[in-house]
Amino acid sequence: MNTPVLVVGGGPAGLSAAHSLASTGQKVLLVDKADRLGGAPILSGYAKLVPSGEWAKDAIGGMVQRIESNPLVEIQTRTTITEFSGAPGAFKYMLAGEEQTREAGATILCTGFSHFDPVNKPELGFGIFPDVVTTTQVEQMLSSGKGVKCLSDGRVPERVAILLCVGSRDRQIGREWCSKICCTVSANLAMEIREALPQCSVYIYYMDIRTFGLYEDAYYWESQEKYRVKYIKSRIAEVTSDGKRLIVKGEDTLVKRPITIPFDLVVQAIGMDPNVDNARIASIFGVELERHGFLQRGATYRAMGSTTRPGLLVAGAASGPETIDDSIAQGQAAAMAALTSLKAPATEAA
Amino acid sequence: MTGHNPPEDTQTTDTYTGFGNEWKPVKLSREDANLATAWVETRIDRREMLTNKDKVQDVRDIMWQLEKDGEIVVHRITEQHQPVTGKTLYGWNKRIPTNQLWHHKSCGQCGNIPGYPTSLLWLQNQLDIRYLDETDQTSCTAWNYHGSGVGNIVSLAAIFLRNFHQAYVSSVSQGLPPGYYFPLVHCGTSFGNYKEVRSYLLQSSRLREQVKQILGKLGRLVDGKLLIPEEIVHYSEWLHVMRERIAEKQVIDVSNIRATVHPACHVYKMVPEDVLYDDTVLGGNRVAVTTGLLQTLGVQVLDYSTWYDCCGFGFRHIIGEREFTRSFAIDRKIKVAVEEAHADVMVGHDTGCITTLDKSQWIGRAVGKVYELSVMADSQFAALACGAHPYKLAQLHWHASPFEGLLTKMGIDWEKAKAEFEAYLEDVKEGRIETLYDPKRAITSGPGYVKPQPALTEADQ
Amino acid sequence: MNIALRIGDPLSEAPAVNREKLEEIFEDIRNHQLFDHELHGCLNCGICTATCPSAHYYDYSPREIVQLLLTENLEGIYDAMQEKIWACAQCYTCAARCPFHNSPGGLIMILRETAIKHGMQSAKDVLKPYTRVLMKVISTGNQLAPNMITPDAFADWGPNIAKVKAPLKVLRKAIPMPTMHTMDTAWEINIKTSIELYTIWEATGVLGQLETIDPNLFDVVTDLMDEKRDEYEEWLEEQEG
Repeated sequence: MNTPVLVVGGGPAGLSAAHSLASTGQKVLLVDKADRLGGAPILSGYAKLVPSGEWAKDAIGGMVQRIESNPLVEIQTRTTITEFSGAPGAFKYMLAGEEQTREAGATILCTGFSHFDPVNKPELGFGIFPDVVTTTQVEQMLSSGKGVKCLSDGRVPERVAILLCVGSRDRQIGREWCSKICCTVSANLAMEIREALPQCSVYIYYMDIRTFGLYEDAYYWESQEKYRVKYIKSRIAEVTSDGKRLIVKGEDTLVKRPITIPFDLVVQAIGMDPNVDNARIASIFGVELERHGFLQRGATYRAMGSTTRPGLLVAGAASGPETIDDSIAQGQAAAMAALTSLKAPATEAA
Repeated sequence: MTGHNPPEDTQTTDTYTGFGNEWKPVKLSREDANLATAWVETRIDRREMLTNKDKVQDVRDIMWQLEKDGEIVVHRITEQHQPVTGKTLYGWNKRIPTNQLWHHKSCGQCGNIPGYPTSLLWLQNQLDIRYLDETDQTSCTAWNYHGSGVGNIVSLAAIFLRNFHQAYVSSVSQGLPPGYYFPLVHCGTSFGNYKEVRSYLLQSSRLREQVKQILGKLGRLVDGKLLIPEEIVHYSEWLHVMRERIAEKQVIDVSNIRATVHPACHVYKMVPEDVLYDDTVLGGNRVAVTTGLLQTLGVQVLDYSTWYDCCGFGFRHIIGEREFTRSFAIDRKIKVAVEEAHADVMVGHDTGCITTLDKSQWIGRAVGKVYELSVMADSQFAALACGAHPYKLAQLHWHASPFEGLLTKMGIDWEKAKAEFEAYLEDVKEGRIETLYDPKRAITSGPGYVKPQPALTEADQ
Repeated sequence: MNIALRIGDPLSEAPAVNREKLEEIFEDIRNHQLFDHELHGCLNCGICTATCPSAHYYDYSPREIVQLLLTENLEGIYDAMQEKIWACAQCYTCAARCPFHNSPGGLIMILRETAIKHGMQSAKDVLKPYTRVLMKVISTGNQLAPNMITPDAFADWGPNIAKVKAPLKVLRKAIPMPTMHTMDTAWEINIKTSIELYTIWEATGVLGQLETIDPNLFDVVTDLMDEKRDEYEEWLEEQEG
């Protein structure tokens, strides 16, 4: 039987799931609300990825091309699912703007995340001072080739601060989780900035450094040894301006002293929020959200990728902050689970 | 969830948190979910989007429920108070009563900066606002509590409820129904303290029990229950929602005045979710009060790098350890406002801040830190802009900081005004005193009370 | 086993405080009805100390206070209660910014109340310059009276209390709010109001605190309160007559 499998979301997880399914001869319908595939790495213009160092537009762009040239994958962009019903093996759904009902044998939700919008932490200065930017914006400066510059007057910064945990680990804004990837991404960006601007000093302000696993020395150690990135154990409380430079206020908790330091450019390492559409996604697909607002996973040990609804699978950052590599891996796992369910539809949440 | 059960001793019977484990999933119907996210396609309202609107408890939900359960009575803001709705930090509505107000005075203002409250009452007279200023009010006692540690949550709560009960029943002395006047809090410290205390009262049945006994002894219960105000309202919030109407009374062009705003810690940092933020004032990124008013009057409001800093008042330090207060005030606020912003005036909205910033300048000469900056309250500045007499009304002669240059820049002949005031003092010595309202109204019970004959009606106000 | 611990500097002459006493003090802190509301956990992020005005000028850090309490460092807590806790300026910037929703400023208040409860000499010493205010607020319900602000008491505020030379009484009467035509209180307080306040002070243990801090002041204040109560009783009787 070749009722298509519905893959919702064309980022790394969705691209990976679609490819894995199509590789077995399984038809796929890949849907994305944006105007093109690729997810955050493409839509937000990421630069070099971790840990391969490949440019996002090559790495993920390559995954996109592979899917676009695959005849078994039907792609629908600029659209969303408006209705969804049915049971494993026989799901029915409708796309926005279409009249007819479509069918899917299985469904994988790869709807991903939203970047935290730091206007919600106004005391850190984003949206008030033009030279306060996000890690995403720095990625774009690098990937576009335009280079790292101060937005206020276009000058090349001599002093750059990277503030970790903006939008994460913060009860003040209802986001108590850790966004997993920002420590590594920030260390990576710090190295890229130092490489592009050898005269520039880069400081990273942190509570903890979570460059886990094999990232530890490749990013945390190397950024110090080879690139002289400076790490200060201080979460930044406020960013203001004296009219000439940005002023960053913190406590160096290791030296136990309050600090007030000037910078040309302040980069906020923004966290991974639940997808801003999650309330609607949960309602349409009939799945539950876990307490932070991400999609709730089912039992992890016996059935990777399950949600709270039988036959509905999830992969990638839709269920919590996730790296690109692991999103890709989860996409493959979900594809496997989807194929299994097509062969023997489950009647209960695994 | 995580499958954990926290150990017994963190499960006290009296925890009042309201986040984390108590988050409840949304479980919206499809239509509601669509409605909830439909705006994403069009416009992102950042004040409400993605902040912890559902994850920080709004104590007013508890308040209404307690009233439903028969535990408390809420002193409501109703149409008679002509409320204007503003938005707070997370985009919640806050109704600010604008008429029929009970003035909750500030110790430091009345003792030290008399022009501060008189300016407010004068502005209210200009706008035909009905109010009551009376003697049956105690200090909130929070200045003392924060400074000395003498006091406790029960004393603070009892005093809160006592004062707000008096606000509720004060109108009865004038033959008007209870609840006619709604309390307006003058001091920033009182405001922060009352917000906190009300929050504790709503979350702790134990605290309610403790104070109920005391309030009962004082005869200050309503139907045998505690009376809780629907909102705690700071006068700066009143100025904010009235700023356009105040600007209509403006007679002085202040567009050449450079002002820095000092936002008070206890106003916007204590219970931060309950103070006005406004998208039309600094993009909603900083607390709206005072800045909105000044901008509406046409003043140039300037940013400076220590905007968020405390003034250094220190509750106890201002009394007995002023080397800290003045060091902080000069180094972190006054010097910065002068050197970075080149300000003509520093405007604030709290007693302690105005006192600190005003009184801490002179001593700087002893260490070569000479910075001259006029310091006054937003009510005083607004009153001046509307033509109030700088001495007779704004009472600027009590200020240590130099205001003469500012007045000159505003086109006010301060020497003439001073002479007029000195002449007025001769009248005062003879007993010819001008007041903002009929002094008999200031006593609502006890010695000196005169029952108005006949009972006051709206027309008499 | 009764272990006497020497606190702080081993060469200090301060008497040793035994562990039981330290535990008793900590129990009082831990059982304070607001403790769980003010302290949850700590990421050691330093935001509280970053924004603390006292941390700039004193050897004081709100983060340190939080850590001492979380780790139940009994000696450290006792030490902090000697001087450090009085450095806090009660601005609550720490509480407004803490990502764990702690309130180090609120914890300081708990520590201060406990220091007073245990009659610590450090509390008495630090509050000595403050006694006039205590007397004023407890006996009248007003914090600061106009006649307390004199060039002697506040020499560093400048040579003039007012820039217009006139007796204080006249200047006060020149304030157009009738409630402010007083000199020994900030505003005129109805005697009935003061009496109500006395009931509150008694019922909430505040007078007890005062007695611990300054027994002489306590005597003066209670005498004043009795006088006022008598005065009010007389007035009530007159009304009935």
